[in-house]
Amino acid sequence: MSVATEPVQLPIARPNVLDLAPLYEVLRREAPITPATTPAGDPAWLVTRYAEVRDLLGDKRLGRSHPEPERAARITTAAVQNGPSGNYDTEEADHTRMRRLLTPAFSAKRMRMLSGHVQHLVDGYVDQLVADHAGAADGVVDLRAGLAFPLPVAVICRLLGAPERDRERFHGLSERMANYAIGDDAQRARAEFSAYMTELVEAKRAEPGEDVLSDLVRAQSEDPSFEYAEMVRLCVGLLFAGHETTVNRIGLGTLFLLTRRDQWRALTDDPDGRVNATVEEIMRLGAPGDLGLLRYAHTDLDVAGVTVRRGDAVILSINAANRDVSVYTDAETFDPDRAERTHLGFGHGAHFCIGASLARTELRIVFATLARRLPDLRLACDLDDLEVSPTLTGSLTALPVTW
Amino acid sequence: MYVSVDQDACVSSGQCALTADDVFDQRDSDGVVELLDATPPPHRQPDVRSAAANCPAMAITLRE
Repeated sequence: MSVATEPVQLPIARPNVLDLAPLYEVLRREAPITPATTPAGDPAWLVTRYAEVRDLLGDKRLGRSHPEPERAARITTAAVQNGPSGNYDTEEADHTRMRRLLTPAFSAKRMRMLSGHVQHLVDGYVDQLVADHAGAADGVVDLRAGLAFPLPVAVICRLLGAPERDRERFHGLSERMANYAIGDDAQRARAEFSAYMTELVEAKRAEPGEDVLSDLVRAQSEDPSFEYAEMVRLCVGLLFAGHETTVNRIGLGTLFLLTRRDQWRALTDDPDGRVNATVEEIMRLGAPGDLGLLRYAHTDLDVAGVTVRRGDAVILSINAANRDVSVYTDAETFDPDRAERTHLGFGHGAHFCIGASLARTELRIVFATLARRLPDLRLACDLDDLEVSPTLTGSLTALPVTW
Repeated sequence: MYVSVDQDACVSSGQCALTADDVFDQRDSDGVVELLDATPPPHRQPDVRSAAANCPAMAITLRE
């Protein structure tokens, strides 16, 4: 196999929910930054090698905004990571303000204080799964509906001050926003989500709570440079990313562990001793979606012998970088005992996932608790029978398990 | 082991404080790293190495 001279058509299809196409290995080796055609039909650069992906994630010469947004390459018809976002002139200042506002609420200390609450929630969901299992004729329960979905939703609702009873509503909107197979309906979903969020923040303005949405309403009202629409966009982003990503990661992690019985057995033998490394390997190898993180070049730049022009779209494949054989021994193998400690599962640099401490806290408690309480857990279907939705995060629609 | 941190490079991710909270902390105001222990004892060094390797700003330097 060799790299064609034609641009690579995205997305690159995968054999199943856990594995990636072999083409990525060829690209990393022969064309670590290569011309590609986005699902929307526009040109972009696809970056697949660890070193370049990491460096570009940390490179301030790229951003999420575009100098001429109307001329920017479109990525998909979804309403998330589909094209440029934010204001080119103020992007860096806006980002700095956003991080300053949100960092205290998502700090490691705050997440540590939240861990007792997360453990309490997980125990309750597992109790319910055990009861459902006892009552089910075939002994099969849905781990997605019973744990992977409700946990991150409950936690982010508490942090943001969003009503958990609305979870089906905002989850439905999130799925539609991230869907690239429904045309304009993704944009309609974003508009509906913004309208929903506007109601929510106005309720917070009338009756503030000790939560992130109330903090943002207050900060926006005190800062004339902080536009109302920008605040709403940020709140939508927090509620979207705050649950969608972790729901998926719990699903992917469960699949990795239950299709590798030796790794599951090792975890059940020593949950507390092994869970942190297991979660890091889930973050490295779990590969949601088939695109990557989107940036636009804010100036001309040279990357691995290729000149990227100002305004070009650059898609950074975290999935490919995290399986780079020049960085990881047996890169495709799920091995929590590996010597390499780094990965790009939460990104890198100034845009590093602000919810990383939250996600790590939730994932560690989920997998330690499952290993402790349900050591005989196994999949109740074939990997190939699992349905994956056509969204940017490629989420599972159900995860049937038994024990 | 001798640990140093670069507060100007730090992006306030808090991953060091999550990994080794007896060695690293975050400033309350902006989440920037604060070093609590520049010479951690041997049994804490594996976590400190993880924290340094996983720092998204590469703001932690170890001398061993």
